[in-house]
Amino acid sequence: MGNNKKKSKASSNGNRPRNGARASKAHVAADAFVRPSAERSSTNQNNSNSDLRTYSIPDYRLEHPDFTVRQHVEKDRQGQERVRYEVEGDLDAPVPPIRDSKYLNKQQAIEIYRYMLLNRKMEIALENLYKQGKVVGGVYFGLGQEACSCASAYALDKDDWFAPMIRNQGSLLVRGFGASDTMMQYMAKAGSPTKGRDGTSHFGDIEKRNMVSPISMLGDLIPVMAGVALGARLQGRNLAVMTYIGDGGQSTGVTYEGINFAAVQNLGLVLFVESNLWAYSTPSEMQYRCKDLAERAIGYGIPGVIVDGTDACQVYDAAHEAVERAHRGEGPTLIEAKMMRMKGHAIHDAASYVPKAMFDFWKRRDPIARFENYLVKEKKWLTPKENQDLPTEVERIIEEEREIAVNSPMPTPESAEGGVFCEDGCHEIKPKYGMPKVKKGTGGFKETEAAVHLK
Amino acid sequence: MQLTYLEAIRQGIWEEMDRDPTVFCLGEDIGIYGGAFKVTDGFIDRFGPERVIDTPIAESAIVGAAFGASLTGMRPVAEFQFMDFIGCAFNQISNMVAKTHYLWGAPAPLVLRGPSGGYVHGGPFHSQNPEMWFVHNPGLKVICPAIPYDAKGLIKAAIRDNNPCIFFEHKYLYRRIKGEVPAEDYVVPIGKARVAREGRDLSIITYAAMVHTALEAAEILGKEGIDLEILDLRTVSPLDREAIVQTVKKTNKVVILHEHSRTGGMAGEIAAIINEEAFDDLDGPIVRIAGLDSAIPFSPPQEHHYLPKVEDVVREARRLKAY
Repeated sequence: MGNNKKKSKASSNGNRPRNGARASKAHVAADAFVRPSAERSSTNQNNSNSDLRTYSIPDYRLEHPDFTVRQHVEKDRQGQERVRYEVEGDLDAPVPPIRDSKYLNKQQAIEIYRYMLLNRKMEIALENLYKQGKVVGGVYFGLGQEACSCASAYALDKDDWFAPMIRNQGSLLVRGFGASDTMMQYMAKAGSPTKGRDGTSHFGDIEKRNMVSPISMLGDLIPVMAGVALGARLQGRNLAVMTYIGDGGQSTGVTYEGINFAAVQNLGLVLFVESNLWAYSTPSEMQYRCKDLAERAIGYGIPGVIVDGTDACQVYDAAHEAVERAHRGEGPTLIEAKMMRMKGHAIHDAASYVPKAMFDFWKRRDPIARFENYLVKEKKWLTPKENQDLPTEVERIIEEEREIAVNSPMPTPESAEGGVFCEDGCHEIKPKYGMPKVKKGTGGFKETEAAVHLK
Repeated sequence: MQLTYLEAIRQGIWEEMDRDPTVFCLGEDIGIYGGAFKVTDGFIDRFGPERVIDTPIAESAIVGAAFGASLTGMRPVAEFQFMDFIGCAFNQISNMVAKTHYLWGAPAPLVLRGPSGGYVHGGPFHSQNPEMWFVHNPGLKVICPAIPYDAKGLIKAAIRDNNPCIFFEHKYLYRRIKGEVPAEDYVVPIGKARVAREGRDLSIITYAAMVHTALEAAEILGKEGIDLEILDLRTVSPLDREAIVQTVKKTNKVVILHEHSRTGGMAGEIAAIINEEAFDDLDGPIVRIAGLDSAIPFSPPQEHHYLPKVEDVVREARRLKAY
C-alpha cells in the first residue's frame, strides 16, 4: 500500500461536541481540512445578515466546470416532439494541469498509474469477453473513473477496510485481487470468489484484504463500513473504512443514516461521493438541488472536500488526509470526486441520452492520458521507454489473468446448495484485532423493574 | 429462581456481555434510559457507553453497523424499540445480512431483538408480529420464545450463534409470565421445539404468546375430556420438522395457531410440512387459527376481535375432535 503509519490509539465512543462547540484547531491545521465550523460574519454591511454563518468546503480542483443539463423539447425530422437532454455551459475550457501531490513520490505515482492501466485494460478484456459470449449478463465499466478508484484505494493501509461500488473495479486490483477474480465473477465461474453465486464486483474478503461485498442496493454499505470501524475501535484500533457512492446512490435514505451514524460515533469512514453526472440515464440535476454534494458534509458536521476525480494526485491527497484523520480517531470525511461516467450504465446501454459535447469535454480529461502526460512530460518520472514497456507488461498480466478466468469451469448445478448458514465449524469467530479490553463498572447485577410481575 | 420473561432476557444478555467482551449492545434509548421496556436497564453502568450504545433513530444504520461490527468478529446485539420498526431496516437485513454467508462466505454473528405482538392495545405500528417477513429469507434464524426459561436460554444461544438471529420478544409476556429459571449457565438449542403440554386427542402447534392461549384452552377442554397436546415451536426458522411430524403421528389431528395474519402465515408452511411428511397420519383437516387479514386495529374491542382468543381454540378443538 501507499503508506505505512504508526498504529493509533482508539478513541472512545462518547459525547462529542457539535461543530464549533469545540474547535479542534490543531487538527484543522494538521489536516489541511477546514472543519466546516460555523463562523459569524461580522463584516457584512447588512445588519439583518449579521448572524449569517459561513461554511467552507475546500476545493482542490484546478478548474471548475460549469454547465447544466436540462430536459428540452425538440422536433425530429418528422416534426414529432421529442424530449432530450441538452447541455448548456462552457464546454470548450482548456484541460487543466495535474495538481502536484503533497504526498506521492515518484514510485507511488507510477504504481497508481500502473493500477489505472490495469483497471482500464481489464475492462477492455471484459468487453471482449462479453462480445465473445463468455460473460453471463452485463458488464459494468469505470471508464473515466480509474483515477478515483485506484488512487483512493491506494491511500489505505493494509489493515484498513474498503467496499467498492460497481465502477470501482480498479480498487480491487489495488487491494490485491487478481483481474481474474473479477473476470470469473462476470463469467459466473466456479473459480470466482463467490463460486458462481454472485457476479461483478460483488465479493469480499474479511480475512486478508478486508473487503466487504457490495450489494446492488445503493447506500447500504455506508452504515456497514461504519460498523466495521466501530467493531475495530472496540478492539482498540482506529481504522479507515473506505466506500463509495454515486451522485445517484446518495439519494437513498440509508446514505443519510450511514453517514450520520459515522459522524455521531466519530468513526473513520472515508466516503467517496463519485459525482459522475449520470445515474443510469438521469442527470445529476435531477438527483439533488445543492451545488456540490460535498456541501452535504456541512449538514453531517463532518469535513467535506471536492476533488477532480480525473486527477489521481488530487484523489490520492484527499484520500490520504481522510485516512490519516480516521487513524487519528477524528471521524469521517466526505470527498466528492467530480468526473463523468464515460460509458453507459452497463454494456447494453449506449448512453445516447448524454449530449455529445459532454463526452467530448470529459474525453479531453481522460484520467489515464492526463496522468501519463504528467508522469512522462511534466515530471519526467517515466522515460518514453518505460512508458512504452508499462502497457505491454500490463497487457501481459491481463492476458494471463484472462487465461485463468476463461479456463475456470462452470459450477456444478448442485453447488447452488449449502452454505446458507455458518455451521459445523465452517468459521471460527474471533475478534480480528484482539479481544476488546473491557472496563466493568462496579454495578453488579440487580433485579430492576424488569422483574416486576404483572399478574 | 422465578423470573419474569423480561428479566430472563435481561439476565441472558447481561451474562453474555459479562462472559464475552465481544458482545455489545446498540439501539435507541438503550443506555441511560435502559430501553423502552427496560431490557438493558443498568447495562450502561456496568458495561460502559462503549458497549451500550445509544444510536440515532435510524434502523438501517443500526443493522448495518451491527453487521459491519460482526465482520470484525464482534457479536452485536441490536435492539429495535418495537419490532414493527424492523421494516425500516428490511433491505439491510434481507439483502445484506441474510445473504452474506451464502454469497461470499462471511459469517454474521449478530442478534436483532425487540418486542413484538399484540394484546396491549399498541395499535397498528406497535403490535405487529413480523416474523414471517424473515422466515421467508434464507440465512436468518428466527426465534420466538414463550416462557422465561426459553427466553433466557435462547437469547444466550442466539448471541453465541455464528449466524444472524432475529429474536422476537412478546411484549404481552414481558411482565405477565413468570417461570423457573436455573441460576447456572445454560442455553436452549435454536431450531428445537418443545412439548409444552402432553396430550393424546389433538395437537396445537403454536409459539410465543399463543402457547399460553393454548394452555388456557387446554384447561377448559380437559374438563370436557379433550386432551390437548401443545407443541411450542420456540424457533420458527429453522423449523423443527421432526417435532411437528411426531406430534401429528401421535394425535392425528392438528390445529395451528398464530397471532399474525392468516394469509401467507406460519400455519400455511406447517400445513405443507405435514402434507409432505405425515399426510397418512391425519384423521381430520388441518385447522388454522390466526389473526385477521388486516392491520392490527387500535381500539380494544377491535383488537380483541382481530387476535386469536382462548374461545377460538376451544371452539375449533371441539369441532376437530368431533370430526
